[in-house]
Amino acid sequence: MGFRTYLIRRIVYALIVLFVILTFNFAVFRLMPGDAEKMIIDPRFSPEARMALRKQFGLDDPPLVQYWKYITSLLRFDLGQSFATRRPVASELAERLPNTIVLFLTAFTLTMIIGTAVGVYAAQHRGTFAETFVTGAGLFTYAVPTFFFQLLLLMLFGYYIRIFPIHGTMSAPPPDGAFLRFLDRVHHLILPAGSNVIIGFGSWALYTRNTMLEALGQDYIITARAKGLPRRDILYHHALRSVLPPIVTLIFLSLPGLVTGAVITETIFSWHGVGRYLMDAVLQQDYPAAQGAFYLIALAVIISNFMADLVYGLVDPRIRVGAGERR
Amino acid sequence: MALLEVKDLKMYYQTLRGQVKAVDSVSFEIEKGKALGIAGESGCGKSSMAITVLRLLPGNGHILGGEVRMDGLDLLSMSEEAFRKAIRWSRISMIFQGAMNALNPVHRVGNQIVEAILTHEDVSRQEAVDRARRLLDMVGISPRRFNDYPHEFSGGMKQRAVIAMALACNPDLVIADEPTTALDVMVQAQVLRAIQDLREKLALSMMLITHDLSVIAQTCDDVAIMYAGRIVEYGTATEVYKKPLHPYSMGLVSAFPNIAADKSPVRSVPGFPPNLVSPPEGCRFHPRCPLADDRCKTEEPASIEVGGNHHSVACHKVDVTAGGIDIWV
Repeated sequence: MGFRTYLIRRIVYALIVLFVILTFNFAVFRLMPGDAEKMIIDPRFSPEARMALRKQFGLDDPPLVQYWKYITSLLRFDLGQSFATRRPVASELAERLPNTIVLFLTAFTLTMIIGTAVGVYAAQHRGTFAETFVTGAGLFTYAVPTFFFQLLLLMLFGYYIRIFPIHGTMSAPPPDGAFLRFLDRVHHLILPAGSNVIIGFGSWALYTRNTMLEALGQDYIITARAKGLPRRDILYHHALRSVLPPIVTLIFLSLPGLVTGAVITETIFSWHGVGRYLMDAVLQQDYPAAQGAFYLIALAVIISNFMADLVYGLVDPRIRVGAGERR
Repeated sequence: MALLEVKDLKMYYQTLRGQVKAVDSVSFEIEKGKALGIAGESGCGKSSMAITVLRLLPGNGHILGGEVRMDGLDLLSMSEEAFRKAIRWSRISMIFQGAMNALNPVHRVGNQIVEAILTHEDVSRQEAVDRARRLLDMVGISPRRFNDYPHEFSGGMKQRAVIAMALACNPDLVIADEPTTALDVMVQAQVLRAIQDLREKLALSMMLITHDLSVIAQTCDDVAIMYAGRIVEYGTATEVYKKPLHPYSMGLVSAFPNIAADKSPVRSVPGFPPNLVSPPEGCRFHPRCPLADDRCKTEEPASIEVGGNHHSVACHKVDVTAGGIDIWV
């Protein structure tokens, strides 16, 4: 199978998944208890005014027509108008997306680096107190519920010891000067990002430690030692490099979980991002807003899965597609 | 002076059940250009000995005594860093039971050879690459396969690549640990031929570890038969093979069919190798030995030289076994 066929197959597959998700997304909001009308239409309205509003939002169309309109406008990135704010959902999301990306990219990058480093360290110091401590701490933080831990942090460092702001993405009004504004942003970022790192590094560390230990027990590590390679080369160039494929794949596969985790973190820290937007939209039965947020999340999930497939092929020569042709 | 001299070497593994006496007072020598075969059942300590010489022991393996000398240089007292730089691969290299896993699956085969060269020699990358290509060619692998990954090689090719890698730094001694196990018979023959050719061409000194006496008969000058962490018989390959003196060696030889001789049943040595945590008192082989008497159960036989050619054997019953009777009936 050539790389092109493989690529096309993955794309078709991704599109099918997207379509199923969109359909489900459309259906689930119409099956949920509650009615959009109650949100936007005052019971005291006259029937005429009511009809006009229903028409404005397209709620008078039969479901299939609504579905058709929904799909075609999604493809044009027209996510409709929010019931609650009467603004286009697309621009509301576009405004929040950078905040979410900043928060989770920071948290994720740190989690990865710290988790992998700690895992390699633990594997290297097998049987020592340091390893026991590291794996213990990793397991503990992994097991603690995210929201509970975040609330604790917020109470401790936002209320009792007031060193971090308790909510928001930045101060209102923001300080003057680009650098101060940047620092203000970072200040707001520390608790939400930090809590995610603490919760998340454990599973990475444990996973890295386990795969590293497995790799270090392989025959090719003995070969590397027999060759007289320096310790560092054996550890990084042979052991870590050989466990990179599963780790990298897991990185991409864990991206969707991050996006969904955004809902909790952003709600708790009042972060002006997509996750909290979704939460608010659901609570207010704001169909277009919630659908838009879901659409975005679905896209993120599908894209990261797709990338996991591609990257895995790149880092592991054994499954590099079409590798046999080069000879 | 012998190239490699091992004297009274003791290496025990510390386990939860006690010390496993994997290598227990083992002595032998390898002369320059000669090949010594070490034969024995699985678990007799032969592979442990190989990794002891290269100091590749796992965390629970401890050298408790004895000497390993190379050209008179004491290898066991060297610092780890000095040993790594000066001995590993540059003077002693190893051919692993490599068909499966001795090559790292995520690195190109050629680069794994280049890596060994660049670690020990101050040459340019291009020179190292050229040499690696020549080495591959020498073991019958097209240099065009330099950039292949191990999974693109067959089992026999991998094993030959491992051999090429072992020769990368012109070592004085090559230790081959079961180089043909896990290969099918045809490929075994190929690999053995490659090893033999190289030995002749490069005047290599070798230590070949195997459970297959025929491999030793084909490639080695001397042979040491190991049983339960000890060498029980030592001598030239032809002599030990033709006229084994230890009951265990006799069993090994007769367990190996000879297609040139008259039809005779293939026999095996009954019983199992002993647990090395608490090996039997006296001669370690006595529970499985048809000649064992009370002395064998209590007194450990010393190694005595029989005849010329350094043929030595550790057995109380040499006078019986030397009589040439078939004890394994």
